Amino acid sequence: MNWRPTGMDLWQLLLTLALAGSSDAFSGSEPTAAILSRASWSLQSVNPGLKTNSSKEPKFTKCRSPERETFSCHWTDAVHHGSKSLGPIQLFYTRRNIQEWTQEWKECPDYVSAGENSCYFNSSFTSVWIPYCIKLTSNGDTVDGKCFSVDEIVQPDPPIALNWTLLNVSLTGIHADIQVRWEAPPNADIQKGWMVLEYELQYKEVNETKWKMMDPILSTSVPVYSLKVDKEYEVRVRSKRRNSGNYGEFSEVLYVTLPQMNQFTCEEDFYFPWLLIIIFGIFGLTVMLFVFLFSKQQRIKMLILPPVPVPKIKGIDPDLLKEGKLEEVNTILAIHDSYKPEFHSDDSWVEFIELDIDEPDEKNEGSDTDRLLSSDHQKSHSNLGVKDGDSGRTSCYEPDILETDFNANNIHEGTSEVAQPQRLKGEADLLCLDQKNQNKSPYHDACPATQQSSVIQAEKNKPQPLPTDGAESTHQAAHIQLSNPSSLANIDFYAQVSDITPAGSVVLSPGQKNKAGMSQCDMHLEMVSLCQEDFIMDNAYFCEADAKKCIPVAPHIKVESHIEPSFNQEDIYITTESLTTTAGRPGTTEHIPGSEMPVPDYTSIHIVQSPQGLILNATALPLPGKEFLSSCGYVSTDQLNKIMP
Amino acid sequence: MNIKGSPWKGSLLLLLVSNLLLCQNVAPLPVCPGGAARCQVTLRDLFDRAVILSHYIHNLSSEMFSEFDKRYTHGRGFITRAINSCHTSSLPTPEDKEQAQQINQKDFLSLIVSILRSWNEPLYHLVTEVRGMEEAPEAILSKAVEIEEQTKRLLEGMELIVSQVHPETKENEIYPVWTGLPSLQMADEESRLSAYYNLLHCLRRDSHKIDNYLKLLKCRIIHNNNC
Repeated sequence: MNWRPTGMDLWQLLLTLALAGSSDAFSGSEPTAAILSRASWSLQSVNPGLKTNSSKEPKFTKCRSPERETFSCHWTDAVHHGSKSLGPIQLFYTRRNIQEWTQEWKECPDYVSAGENSCYFNSSFTSVWIPYCIKLTSNGDTVDGKCFSVDEIVQPDPPIALNWTLLNVSLTGIHADIQVRWEAPPNADIQKGWMVLEYELQYKEVNETKWKMMDPILSTSVPVYSLKVDKEYEVRVRSKRRNSGNYGEFSEVLYVTLPQMNQFTCEEDFYFPWLLIIIFGIFGLTVMLFVFLFSKQQRIKMLILPPVPVPKIKGIDPDLLKEGKLEEVNTILAIHDSYKPEFHSDDSWVEFIELDIDEPDEKNEGSDTDRLLSSDHQKSHSNLGVKDGDSGRTSCYEPDILETDFNANNIHEGTSEVAQPQRLKGEADLLCLDQKNQNKSPYHDACPATQQSSVIQAEKNKPQPLPTDGAESTHQAAHIQLSNPSSLANIDFYAQVSDITPAGSVVLSPGQKNKAGMSQCDMHLEMVSLCQEDFIMDNAYFCEADAKKCIPVAPHIKVESHIEPSFNQEDIYITTESLTTTAGRPGTTEHIPGSEMPVPDYTSIHIVQSPQGLILNATALPLPGKEFLSSCGYVSTDQLNKIMP
Repeated sequence: MNIKGSPWKGSLLLLLVSNLLLCQNVAPLPVCPGGAARCQVTLRDLFDRAVILSHYIHNLSSEMFSEFDKRYTHGRGFITRAINSCHTSSLPTPEDKEQAQQINQKDFLSLIVSILRSWNEPLYHLVTEVRGMEEAPEAILSKAVEIEEQTKRLLEGMELIVSQVHPETKENEIYPVWTGLPSLQMADEESRLSAYYNLLHCLRRDSHKIDNYLKLLKCRIIHNNNC
């Protein structure tokens, strides 16, 4: 056996150590023990080098104390090689008593209880804080040795009696919590406090490979949270002395099978089909929207999709700008003081206005519209130049007049489809050469005295039996503001329309000439203008007298039948009745006296019904508390705005 | 605060700081005023705190020993020398459970107190010597300081327990005296290291004993052997 050479070396070592130990400064009470221990220790360190030999020596594998009251040591069995018979292996131990180190090796008291190749030391042989040394011998030769204290080799037994209880199940029925309980190993004296253990629990699903570990705990029960109900789990626990020693073996595996809850036991609430409702609601709304969009019902369309008002300058029709009628724009913009339009020399509007006083029969031949629309610029121009004089030309630049006219024109323009450029031009005030207002109020100089060529025309495309040619339906005479009644003394620009010829011509009748020079025609004109649909819009003002005029005139005018209370744009002439119908308001002091009553030329405005128009007071002007211009009762828009909110 | 209020502010601050400083020195174990008829803290709490302290001291000792061994003496065969007796070996300490159960309660307590008292001086010198070493190992030094501190507090607690459990016990001042100081100061490094090793080894063992004894006593006295 190769052991022999090592044995020789051992004794040499021991001798050396003896010499060394003698010189130790330590208390020499135990030199032998020291040497022996050292020898054993050296033996252990030397042995590894010697283990390279093929023969397997019996060695200590493990010494263990499960409860600090007993311990046992195990060793490997010797492999017999060849003929070398291994004698019975013996274990000897020694322990240091109090202040006494006995070199006496005692043999193992129990070779059986711990199994084969083991030595069991019961409680009488075990002392916790006293170190032990053991050695293994075979045939008298020390094979292996070891020194330790019992505390170092403590390894508790596994816990026992694992069981689990269900704590609760989640609302979804998918997860559950359990409480795992166990008992301490029975041989560990917990009650007396001899051992204090801590435990570690591990669990995993049955088909998993890796265990999940929990933190060490001191108690013997622990909750395990969030286990899946449909899975089966394995649980195991091991124990360890608190803060020292090694973990013991694992306990037996505990199988946890959670009860399958009936997952359909949840309350069957009525599932309100919100989704369906939302989908169908959106679908229905979409259908309705498309119906409205593509329907011809303008009103509904207006209701749902109100037209977006385009930017609009007061008094300017966008179509004007489109068509490039700069002159018209200029006239309109001339409302504002700061804007002085260019004074075009070629005022084409004048070409239409032909003051032909000396041709009374012309009205029968051709309509004044023709004259108005005639391209004889010079003629009309000269006519105007002759007759115009200073009548009101300057007045054309008065802001109020201009404004009102332009507004009236604008309103009319905006609502009507004026396609005839001539119409635009023809709206110039007879007196105002540079004015190009297009007054919807049909001016007709049908006064026999004046034989004005101005033709009142409803420019509307509506088939109105207006006294115009169908072509020149858009011809309109300008609303001439007569600021200076006296200026009209010589000229009658207004004539009453007495009849409308089937041809469409307007038959003017000699109007009543009043002292103010304002002939009845004017009144009629004004009345007609009053009857204009313009008054629907704001700034369309008329004298009450004119309104009254509408009454008598109305029978002569076929358009009367077309007058509608609603005063739509197709109406040109409006009777007083219709006026009162729409403009009827409490407090309206308008009263319509008999047509035979002398109607004053100028009346004051009693009330302005915007946008329907103005109701003029029959009383003499001015109305108390209100300032009105001395003009024929027509109040400019500015004044109106001052008066009315 | 305006300037006028600053003196008051300063004095208040001083008072606060002094309170904190004084509070620091309050021992965790409630100190019953000397001569008080009865303490306010229950015996159970006293034992609980004592066990906590002893457990803590044992852990520190084990760590300190492991660090020392790893750093200075590992693999150098010092373990054999440590089997030498500790200065407390003369005390009749029970070595196993049966012996511990046989010893009576009063003797048990006085035994524990004696062990604790006997370690006052060695710990003090240990700290002094380690601190005086060149390249003083901070880990070992800090632990030594802590062990010394906690051992004193544990002793105070044990004295309280004794006064409660056995009020008639006369204070026994007899305890083993440690004489290992010269060996700690030896010039020979080997010898010095061996002395340190032995001291730390003994400290670890005795702290383990004290911890164990206290747990036994606690279960015996408080829980009536039914922890």
